[in-house]
Amino acid sequence: MSVSREEALRIAQLAELDVDDEALPELAEQMSRIIDYVAQLSAVPANGTVKAFVPGPDAIRFRADEVNPAPLAFGPAEFAPAFKEGFFVVPKLDQFE
Amino acid sequence: MPPAWETIIGLETHVQLRTKSKMFCGCSTAFGAPPNTQVCPVCLGLPGALPAPNGAAIGLAVRGALALGCTVHPKSIFARKNYFYPDLPKGYQISQFDQPLATSGTLSFLSPERGIINAGVVRLHLEEDAGKSIHDRFAKATAVDLNRSGVPLIEIVGGPDLRSPAEARAYLLTLKQLLEYIGISDCDMEKGSLRVDANVSVRRAGETALNTRTEVKNINSFAFVEKALTVERDRQIALVESGGSVTQQTMLYDSRENTVRPQRSKEESHDYRYFPEPDLPPLVLTPEFVAEQQSELPELPAQKRERFVASYALSREHAAVVTNSRAVADYYENVVRAGAEPQAAANWVMTEALADAKDYQDQLRVAPGALAQLIALVKGGTLSHQAAKKVFGEVAAKGGDPRTIAESLGLIQVGDSNVVSGWVTDVLGAHAPEVGRYKNGETKLMAFFLGQVMRASKGKADPKLAQRVLEEKLAS
Amino acid sequence: MSDAPAKAVADRLVKAKRLNALLTPPKDLRKSLSAQAAAARPTGVLYGMPVAVKDNICTLEFTTSCGSRILEGYRSPYEATAVAKLKAAGALIAGKTNCDEFAMGSSTEHSAYGRVLHPLDKTRVPGGSSGGSAALVAAGAVPAALGSETGGSVRQPAAFCGVVGIKPTYGRVSRWGLVAFGSSLDQIGVFGRSVHDAARVLSVISGRDPRDATCEDRDPLRLPTVPESLQGFVIGLPREYFPAELDPAVRRACDRAVRHLKDLGASVREVSLPHTPYAVPTYYVIAPAEASSNLARYDGVRYGPRFDGHADVRSLYRTTRGQGFGPEVRRRILVGTYVLSSGYYDAYYRRAQQMRSLIAQDFRNVWDRGVDLLFTPTVPTPAFKAGEKLADPIAMYMSDVFTVTANLAGLPAMSLPIGRVKGLPIGGQLIGQAFLEDEMIEAAYALERVVPATDEA
Repeated sequence: MSVSREEALRIAQLAELDVDDEALPELAEQMSRIIDYVAQLSAVPANGTVKAFVPGPDAIRFRADEVNPAPLAFGPAEFAPAFKEGFFVVPKLDQFE
Repeated sequence: MPPAWETIIGLETHVQLRTKSKMFCGCSTAFGAPPNTQVCPVCLGLPGALPAPNGAAIGLAVRGALALGCTVHPKSIFARKNYFYPDLPKGYQISQFDQPLATSGTLSFLSPERGIINAGVVRLHLEEDAGKSIHDRFAKATAVDLNRSGVPLIEIVGGPDLRSPAEARAYLLTLKQLLEYIGISDCDMEKGSLRVDANVSVRRAGETALNTRTEVKNINSFAFVEKALTVERDRQIALVESGGSVTQQTMLYDSRENTVRPQRSKEESHDYRYFPEPDLPPLVLTPEFVAEQQSELPELPAQKRERFVASYALSREHAAVVTNSRAVADYYENVVRAGAEPQAAANWVMTEALADAKDYQDQLRVAPGALAQLIALVKGGTLSHQAAKKVFGEVAAKGGDPRTIAESLGLIQVGDSNVVSGWVTDVLGAHAPEVGRYKNGETKLMAFFLGQVMRASKGKADPKLAQRVLEEKLAS
Repeated sequence: MSDAPAKAVADRLVKAKRLNALLTPPKDLRKSLSAQAAAARPTGVLYGMPVAVKDNICTLEFTTSCGSRILEGYRSPYEATAVAKLKAAGALIAGKTNCDEFAMGSSTEHSAYGRVLHPLDKTRVPGGSSGGSAALVAAGAVPAALGSETGGSVRQPAAFCGVVGIKPTYGRVSRWGLVAFGSSLDQIGVFGRSVHDAARVLSVISGRDPRDATCEDRDPLRLPTVPESLQGFVIGLPREYFPAELDPAVRRACDRAVRHLKDLGASVREVSLPHTPYAVPTYYVIAPAEASSNLARYDGVRYGPRFDGHADVRSLYRTTRGQGFGPEVRRRILVGTYVLSSGYYDAYYRRAQQMRSLIAQDFRNVWDRGVDLLFTPTVPTPAFKAGEKLADPIAMYMSDVFTVTANLAGLPAMSLPIGRVKGLPIGGQLIGQAFLEDEMIEAAYALERVVPATDEA
């Protein structure tokens, strides 16, 4: 299996996704299946000269430095799950600084 | 005896650019607004929002790169730096990764220990700021304010070229001065428009390889830069000397205790999964655009210092003080242009003008023409230096014409030799014994006589003239 | 406008309730339609036209949940540019349509709000991810609807449901307000009962938008007139899209359509897009990678519901995302995180980006040889049965094999009905050159008039 359980768990942590122990084996299997499938790309010999293709304009347009924010029909107080004294509120950062 | 240990320091500075609107949206960047009032779908990270880059921020970033002598790349790419944090609304920061705006610059500064150092600037790139997390406002919760989210930043990464905490501070002050000079940032560590993280490692003297380094964060003032780095250096040296080894980790500086401690681990070292920002095409700078930024650059501090030494015959030290900020340098030159003698102008600017400015939010309250006038009055003997200082204070507070104010305060010196002779005669007449002692060799009594003449004249006598007259009369 | 038309629109939508295609409750729908009808601009080119909008496009009317629990009840405080343009043209926003969660899927079975039924056969899927929009148009509940494409999510359900579905050139329509899935692939697309209906709506929503840096600085799409013939058109048939295993009915329908194209005067020739076999794996590296980053903002902090059990911020993230996202979204986020992670970036993401270049180059080579448009089947099969492809994610992904290339290359493409098999619709696809939608639409106009779309193939 190209994606081990440990690796699947590590990736889940990086992506901040809860995975319980029961679901982990199946998840690792499914990820492996998909990764194995897309790995056929490596069958094509690598060619360093091929540049990435990105559709869209060739260069960014420069926005003028003016204060004109995109309007909000209503403010964060209306859509925030927890809002107090003008701030978004989240549980204390126990494991962050 | 050379030190046993060498300290290697490289600084990473984040500098907020002085624009009206944010990097990727039209929200205001004004400091001090009520929380979450300068926000929009973009900087809130709402579903469906997209970034639109600020051309002025790009211009200022290019100016910074040019002032640092960097190679400015005509094409650079924005990239996403992915990580989770409550004040990072999109769950990624738009920054630049392997194709930054500029690379390979230099910052020349005066090291307190090693003379002029040309510290390398590895890269300068554009990115957006995160919001603010406030941990002590609510119990058991963190308050998040996204006003700052999206403010334009440049990150300036210095090479491992600094060799002491004091040197690091000097580098930082020079960088701040340069960026203030070119007007791209307020560089105020208190307000957070200049932030610094430091990479520190140590090695035994004579070693050439670089050892494991730590990153020191949470340094909030220039003074703390030196303290924090000293503490971390000492910690590493002690660790290695006792047989341990330095682990790569992030250390947080605690300014109250003057200690560093490891940041509680985030489980795994960051994998930021950088990839090119798909919502933004490449950043392409035309030669015209870059040339325009170059032409907007003012005379840089180093050049100005040299010119002042050459043109105004100032010493290096005086030139440095007077060119410390563009505002002061411009002021000084205006005073000289208004007719003041350059040396005297420098003295007055360095002492009275700067002292006054310190109490009045760096305002140089006395107009250059007025200061030049004042200097001329002293030179011509109309005002004593002490009296002139008083007049300076009055002009600073209330404005007005120095001569008029001097007259109204009765400070105009008497330079009329007849009048002065009169006072001298009276004083000498009243102190015959002292005159005798003076003539017998107690020349130090001159100060006493001068004091008496000043008393008799109620301070109005021109002291230099009085002294000359005294000497004449006592010689006879 | 009196209230009668608004009521009629609402009635028709409510009648199609059994399809589970509309997420907007009837009461909210009726109220809003009345208000909109009263305010609609009479001089707008779409005056009074009800257009349903896929639930991953932000509207001020109604909620925007993207078919997900993590945005359940979310009211967007701003609207998408495409929606604003519809309203400015006098159209009515006729509710939000059900879709695969965050547009990830090919059957609309991955919605947190239940699957959408195929209008002609309730045991089958309408396709995805814009299944709700396709079903409503096919059922006659609305004349047009907005969907979105990342790998075929408008064309494939259009083919399955027997309606017209158009994906514009990347950068033709602003993505401001389209909830991002795969940013370099996403485009808002349009469903219509006819080429004209779909094209008109596309024309209205297209055009420059300074809020979207990937939107080209161009005027809105100008619609072509219906051509007399296709004389002068060179149409290519890429052999990789007509494999031996192609469903025989689909092949018959395509052959018939090609005969019609020739009868119309087009010159038809076989061409090759040699990197086609790598398109699906390329897509399934790039799209999940971009999605894993685009969906990081759903963390329970600033909007959306909060799920219980968060003592600290990290558990807030994990329970919100663990419970708020469905299994397909979670899978794609994990795959995407994996292919971007240190140690794998070069082998997967960078490699896929290079392959993407080669795929785009394949098309350019074909255009350079004088070909104007390509014709292919839209999907290898007609609509499959619900549940049939859920066991293996790869089986579902293979449904996109003919559609993902246009997204990877940023080209305009569309599907129109060209036949039936046992009553199930079959779609034929046209792929055009970048920003030459008008030529593609012209050919579609001509073909639509002559091809017997409801005849068994």
